[in-house]
Amino acid sequence: MLLRALAILTSLAVIAGCATPTRYVDPAADDGPVAMTMDYRDFEKAATDAVEDMLASGAVDNPDGGRYIMVVSRITNDTMQRIDTDQLTKKIRVALLRSGKVVTTTAVGLDGAEDEMAMKARELRDSEEFDQSGVQGRGTLQAPDLSLSGKILQRNHRVGKEQQVEYYIQLSLTDLASGLAIWEGETPIIKRGSNKAVSW
Amino acid sequence: MKILLLASMLVLGLAGCASPPETRPLSERQNLKVDPEVVYTMAVTELFEKRLVQPGGDTLLQVQFAVEARSDTELAWKVTWFDDSGMVVEGVGEGYRKATLVTGQVRYFKATAPHARVTSYQLHLREPK
Repeated sequence: MLLRALAILTSLAVIAGCATPTRYVDPAADDGPVAMTMDYRDFEKAATDAVEDMLASGAVDNPDGGRYIMVVSRITNDTMQRIDTDQLTKKIRVALLRSGKVVTTTAVGLDGAEDEMAMKARELRDSEEFDQSGVQGRGTLQAPDLSLSGKILQRNHRVGKEQQVEYYIQLSLTDLASGLAIWEGETPIIKRGSNKAVSW
Repeated sequence: MKILLLASMLVLGLAGCASPPETRPLSERQNLKVDPEVVYTMAVTELFEKRLVQPGGDTLLQVQFAVEARSDTELAWKVTWFDDSGMVVEGVGEGYRKATLVTGQVRYFKATAPHARVTSYQLHLREPK
């Protein structure tokens, strides 16, 4: 009995010793294997394509000077994966903010404000407990000029002994004054791999 | 009072003479950097740059390059952007963009600077592992 336990422990130790060690991946130099699911490189590609195209088109440059205010609307996830679409929109928001052309409001959103504190802080108005000189006044919140919306689609195909997974990242930037989409973009991400690989 | 005035003027004068911080590059930066492995399989046939005029009057640097493949191959490329003082201006992502080329194909790639203050760039072409 003791001998068997010892043998099992030894083999476990050997297996553990052979396991691939956990390591950091530097996103600036990652040539690692590609997954059939969407990974950070796919979101980075889509965000880069979208932002560069938005900037080059002049759609996000305010001819009157100053920055446009953007709100993030609905980005529908029509894939078989559980995707947090913020992975995509955050990259776009950060890049547009850094460009000095667009700032995103967190005070408005389809499902309520992204940061509810903008309204909560206003509830301090007329409270005797707070120094009113620091409380936000009426009419100071900025309404959005632009809305970013989109969809992520997935289509699976069998190609011979392999499977092909197609992702389409579609984005629209709408001018809220006119309701017109002043910029639109689509980034296809096509992957082909083993039938055994899962894409969900 | 007079001494104080003189001392202040001296300090101001010295401050005016102070040398600006050194911004000398250690070696000349190339706009195009192509790894030797890439040279075997393809050639960079064009490299253009222009400033895109924006509706508000700003301009953005845009770079376009073309590569012609001698054989079926893969390419990874990345543009690093710099401002007037040679400091890196961050783009959207930091990874390499990948492309596949078939023999004889000429492909054109474009990249737009993330900010109007970008004045120069470095394009790096390498073979993905």
